[in-house]
Amino acid sequence: MKRSLFLALLILVLISVTRFQVDWLAERPIAVKLGYTPAAEVQRLLAGEHRLALSEMSVIRVLFYFGSLVDKWRNQIMLPPEYFNMYKTVETAVKLDPYNMDAYYFAQSAFTWEVGRAREVNALLDYGMKYRTDDWYLPYFAGFNAAFFLQDYKQAAQYMERAAQLSGNPLFAKLASRYFYESGRTQLGIAYLQGMVEQERDPQQKRAYKLRLDALVVTRTIEDALSEWRQDHDKDPQNIAELYSAGLLAQIPEDPYGGEFFIDEEGKVRTTSKFALARPVENTQQQTLDEIPEAKE
Amino acid sequence: MLPIILMTMRCFLRDRILFALLGAAGLLLLLIPAMSSFSMRQVQELSITLSLSANSFLLLILATLLGSASVWGDIERRYTAGLLGLPLSRRSYLLGKFTGIAVFLLACCAILAVAGLAVIAIAKSQYPAASDPQWWVILLASAMIGLKYVLLAAFAMFFSTLSTSFFLPIFGTLGVYFAGTASQEVFEYLNSDIAENLSPLVKSCAEAFYYILPNFSAFDLKVQAVYGLPLDAMSLLGTLLYFLAYLAVLLTLSVWLFERRDL
Amino acid sequence: MNAIEIKGLSKTYRGKRGARVEALVDLNLDVKAGEVFGFLGPNGAGKSTTIKLLTGQLRLNSGCAMLFGVQVSDPDARLRLGYLPENPSLHGHMNAWEHLRFVGQIHGLDAQRIKRDSQQILELLELDKDAKRPVKGYSKGMTQRLALAVALLPDPDLLILDEPMSGLDPLGRALVKDIIRDAKGRGKTVFFSTHITSDIEAVCDRIGIVVRGRLCALENVAELLREGVEGYLVRYADKLGCQHEDLIVRDRLRERLDSLLASGATLDAIEPHRRDMEAYFLQTVKDAEACLS
Repeated sequence: MKRSLFLALLILVLISVTRFQVDWLAERPIAVKLGYTPAAEVQRLLAGEHRLALSEMSVIRVLFYFGSLVDKWRNQIMLPPEYFNMYKTVETAVKLDPYNMDAYYFAQSAFTWEVGRAREVNALLDYGMKYRTDDWYLPYFAGFNAAFFLQDYKQAAQYMERAAQLSGNPLFAKLASRYFYESGRTQLGIAYLQGMVEQERDPQQKRAYKLRLDALVVTRTIEDALSEWRQDHDKDPQNIAELYSAGLLAQIPEDPYGGEFFIDEEGKVRTTSKFALARPVENTQQQTLDEIPEAKE
Repeated sequence: MLPIILMTMRCFLRDRILFALLGAAGLLLLLIPAMSSFSMRQVQELSITLSLSANSFLLLILATLLGSASVWGDIERRYTAGLLGLPLSRRSYLLGKFTGIAVFLLACCAILAVAGLAVIAIAKSQYPAASDPQWWVILLASAMIGLKYVLLAAFAMFFSTLSTSFFLPIFGTLGVYFAGTASQEVFEYLNSDIAENLSPLVKSCAEAFYYILPNFSAFDLKVQAVYGLPLDAMSLLGTLLYFLAYLAVLLTLSVWLFERRDL
Repeated sequence: MNAIEIKGLSKTYRGKRGARVEALVDLNLDVKAGEVFGFLGPNGAGKSTTIKLLTGQLRLNSGCAMLFGVQVSDPDARLRLGYLPENPSLHGHMNAWEHLRFVGQIHGLDAQRIKRDSQQILELLELDKDAKRPVKGYSKGMTQRLALAVALLPDPDLLILDEPMSGLDPLGRALVKDIIRDAKGRGKTVFFSTHITSDIEAVCDRIGIVVRGRLCALENVAELLREGVEGYLVRYADKLGCQHEDLIVRDRLRERLDSLLASGATLDAIEPHRRDMEAYFLQTVKDAEACLS
């Protein structure tokens, strides 16, 4: 009797402590952190036969990390991303499992638009193409990067040729050159993003693509208005509002990323947001991508 | 030898710990469809990876425990006194015991493989990949996992015949597992340009280990199963022969040592 | 052919730090078929070592040992053997039936016979009610009886029993003695180790006493008992009807009886008074220890 009373007392204490602990844990500062990954060679040795699983887990870890950052950005909490660690983790994942499509896919979506590291991503994609020999996505991505970001059309054509061969879809071969010469860079981006939005399964990724697509569509509208303006004027307009006043735009377009559009000295349509949700925050240490070593070609 | 095989297996079937382990593995498999959906582009591939890895991991535990406990446990609990007083040679005892363990391991492997196929089918239905999974390659990869752990169990038994405590069998077996899994990797590193400056002594030592240790990389068909890559029939046959030859040497050594041992 | 033949058998254990322990030194012993042989000795004298050598658990250093003419290193030597280990330990997950079936199968008996004989033996050893329970729930005495059942199942020509009485209650001991007598009656050979001397008197034909790995005495029990008679206890009533008890030394029995009868006394009983087995055993061990050290 005495013993069971004592036990009941102990359990009561445990419950009350647990109760408080829940509160403490809810209030603890949340550090979203990715951290460094051990060298790929070490991981390969330790993981042994489980390296495919480990590779996938690394990518999913980066994915979660990046996803939580994007959530925070949406709530106006600006955390600087650990781009260097992200890139290193993805690179390690690919060394653990060179077939890991998630890694290539994530590299393509995370390190090109926002960070402008298309050259490194293409090196990664080149590595992947040695293994995923019948996957048309990799040359397709690489071709897009070469055309859109690097403006290396010769290289882009080669990639797209390969994508066309692998997919059996001749459209790809024409894509890079045709879109650029006929419709310009923005249209190429729109075409690419439309494809990505269509086949994306993950709602968060889909939202990100959609946002960027919307931004490009708006850019495209302004660019169209601008070229119409140029037909009648010798000089470019001072700002976007001038296009609106001239009746070339139905409304002052809004940047989905929260910036403001302007026309730069070269006559290109740009925005103060630079199409990025994350902007450097003052007084915080930001990991810059310069730490990413130049990819070996 | 048949009675000893049957007895070994009967005792496994009545051991609750083993069922707890199998149950845990079953739960793990059930989680795979949910875990696979975290992947962006390769849900099906991830489900194959995870189910093969889960299978392999459970068999590692089983092979280590069963193989290590086999002879050492029987001596420790003095079952051997009664057993060897029967007209039963030590060779039959050891080989019967090993066959019992091997059959049990292969049966567990088969159960987990079939459960894995079901799980993969579920994951696949969530988000079909460009191509259907290569079911036969997955089964073959599972079979290779089974063979690998039969070989590891033989190692555990070998240590078990030597030892008077569980330290050597358990940790020796785990050591062999890790070394045997990494040996191919190390060997390739040593033969690459990066290792040019290494002293020749270290190199030849590592090379000797490479040939002595079992090469478990040969049994690893995960990449082929997950990404549907073509298989090389000759190298599969080679692995099978390697398995048989290595197993024969190990068992012969174990019998030889056990016959010379005072109990 | 002898059931057991041991010639020049020695066994040395390697202890810690290279120390050598001589467990058995030049043992020579034959046990004839049909004999009940008791193997005595203090703890650690080498009884169990001898039995382990005979049952193939230890490797011989030198000498040779045979069961029915087959070297003990050959598993076939154990075809006609039933062996009860000291403090037997049985697989806890299996029940009595399964143990017996397993042993029967190893001996190559057919299923019919295994079933029939198992039933009989389990009844004999009063285990039939618990035969379907896993052995891990057995008491020490029950385990001992099941291990004995295992030894008896193949109806072996030779029974080697290591401390068969240990862990048994008086009923169990009586049962074991009955079993040994019954085996002897059917022409079987029994070799058992013990340190309980009263068991020896009851069943043994011959005994061997081993001290510090050396065989120091090999005796015929009947002779030992005969030689051990030191005198007689005579109970009689004198002519007045009063009861008396006299201890008479061996040589003077006749003389004393004559005088008693002449005095008109009536004899009630004459019992031999022996120096008991325990005293003999203790004396032998003491002498041997003194001689060896």
